[in-house]
Amino acid sequence: MTLELEHFLTVGALLFSLGLFVALSKRNAIGVLMGVELMLNAVNLTLLSFSRFSVSERPVAGQTFVVFVITVAAAEAAVALALAVSVYRNRQTVDIDRINLLKS
Amino acid sequence: MERDYTLFIPEFIAAGGAVLVLAAELIYPKVRKDYLAYFTAAVALAWGISALFYIGNTVGNFQGVIQTDNFTTFFRLLGSGIVFVVALLSAQYMNRRTKTAGEYYGLLLLAGIGMVYMAAARELITAYIALELLSFSLYVLVGYLTKDNLSTEASLKYILLGAFSSAMFLYGMSLVYGITGTTYYDGIGAALADRSGDTDTAAVVGFMLILAGVGFKVSAAPFHMWAPDAYEGAPLPITAFLSTASKAAGFALILRLFTGPLAANADDWKWAIAALAAITMTAGNLIAIQQKNLKRLVAYSSIGQVGYMLVVIAAIGYGDRDTAQNASTGLLLHMVGYVCSTLALFTALTAYYNRTGKDTIAGLRGMAETQPFLATIVTVSLFSFAGLPFFAGFTTKLFMFQGSVTDGLLWLVALAVANSFVSLYYYLMVLRQVYLFDPEPGMSRFSVGPVLWVTGAALTLGVIFIGVYPGPVFEGAERATDPLFGVGVDAVDHAAMDHSH
Repeated sequence: MTLELEHFLTVGALLFSLGLFVALSKRNAIGVLMGVELMLNAVNLTLLSFSRFSVSERPVAGQTFVVFVITVAAAEAAVALALAVSVYRNRQTVDIDRINLLKS
Repeated sequence: MERDYTLFIPEFIAAGGAVLVLAAELIYPKVRKDYLAYFTAAVALAWGISALFYIGNTVGNFQGVIQTDNFTTFFRLLGSGIVFVVALLSAQYMNRRTKTAGEYYGLLLLAGIGMVYMAAARELITAYIALELLSFSLYVLVGYLTKDNLSTEASLKYILLGAFSSAMFLYGMSLVYGITGTTYYDGIGAALADRSGDTDTAAVVGFMLILAGVGFKVSAAPFHMWAPDAYEGAPLPITAFLSTASKAAGFALILRLFTGPLAANADDWKWAIAALAAITMTAGNLIAIQQKNLKRLVAYSSIGQVGYMLVVIAAIGYGDRDTAQNASTGLLLHMVGYVCSTLALFTALTAYYNRTGKDTIAGLRGMAETQPFLATIVTVSLFSFAGLPFFAGFTTKLFMFQGSVTDGLLWLVALAVANSFVSLYYYLMVLRQVYLFDPEPGMSRFSVGPVLWVTGAALTLGVIFIGVYPGPVFEGAERATDPLFGVGVDAVDHAAMDHSH
């Protein structure tokens, strides 16, 4: 059996769904972030498999996109962790169920 | 293709200003923080003035990824204007709350740049980077008061939901890239037009995910959960920035995407946008009624406004080319009126908060007696939101809804008008506090500083001006939508453009 585009896309979609589930079910801010990172990696996998398998005039675009996504994801993690630290300093927790001062 | 860096001069000025603000505080840590604010305002002014030179120029295109046309110029002026006002609002407010303000003003300018490039982008990666530049700046700005529990909590919630929505947006973009094989808007449009007719699950899923991503950025229900929290926790001037710049930027991106590359597949997404508009305006207005906190009320009311604006995007899908342009022109006009009204409201609230420390609805009681001038500004801006005649909101909504009326969409326009009446109720509840109650004991009449006084007066006059005589702004909005619909665009992009027609 040879690996085709569909196989990669299926793995990508599964990974994305897993990330989605983790991001929605975790109560810890760091856990949510890890879920989001999984989703972003699924995006990267999808982009790469498209650029590898589909014949297009600019196959490089997908790979360029991945480089940018990785970079932005790193920046996102840095900013999010910094904000989590500043919450932790004030409240000694990053559990989003217990960070609930803002309510209607 | 040659690289024309002169297209970026306005943003070079803004970015240079951002670096200078940061450097100024590094070198002179004791610099007065309100000087930094006024410097930022001056940079924003220079940015706006330099953007004026692009009006009427030939369309500039940088490598096919960034296009400077009237649409970009429109958002440059809007963006620099918002940054200008927000910097002025922050001067006194932030002065009392932080020891370091360099990053605050630097990020404010960078957020404005992100907004401009969301409007200027003609390529998905560029659009994504611009969107994240705006978002990241906002995450940090919302949480800028690190000692404040509400501010940090708001920023953490904002970034978690923001990162989540970015991931969905990206997955949608990756699917669109997979289907079309390119990330350039022109190429996507051409590729989608070639295959139009056969419905494609991947394409529909891609559009829906993109819609969810941008829907989050403009806080359309059901992706609006972050907005009330972020609005409430953020410093007041940043709340003003959130409800103006981030919405304007989101709609700039939506307009570029949905009038251009995705227009050929309108059948796949128009129903979703119509539903989104209906849910957003109804949810926003109904939940707004129950709010006690003024910032949360403004958040939900702005969600309602987003619902009205989404009617236009639905009309772009349902109507023909003329409807689409009229509706888009109405949207840009409404955006200007909405931005003026919101900034006027926040100028008054900031001036009031600086003096009294109150930002709840009940906290406004007796404002007409303690500060009649601020009470007037609040009245004008709330009436404008509600859409009463002679104020911007009435005229701009009229143009917007009139432009959007098209077969199959009458129900949505009717719902929008009905929602406007509901919104009048909670705006009047605020005004009731302002006018009908005596001030709390011990509150006496106070005066407003000259900067906020002039800003508030100018914005209020702007609201009334647009309401009474919308001609000039309408003209500008119409010129700004021309490039979206290929009016007066001569040979911008070569092969790809030819392909799409």
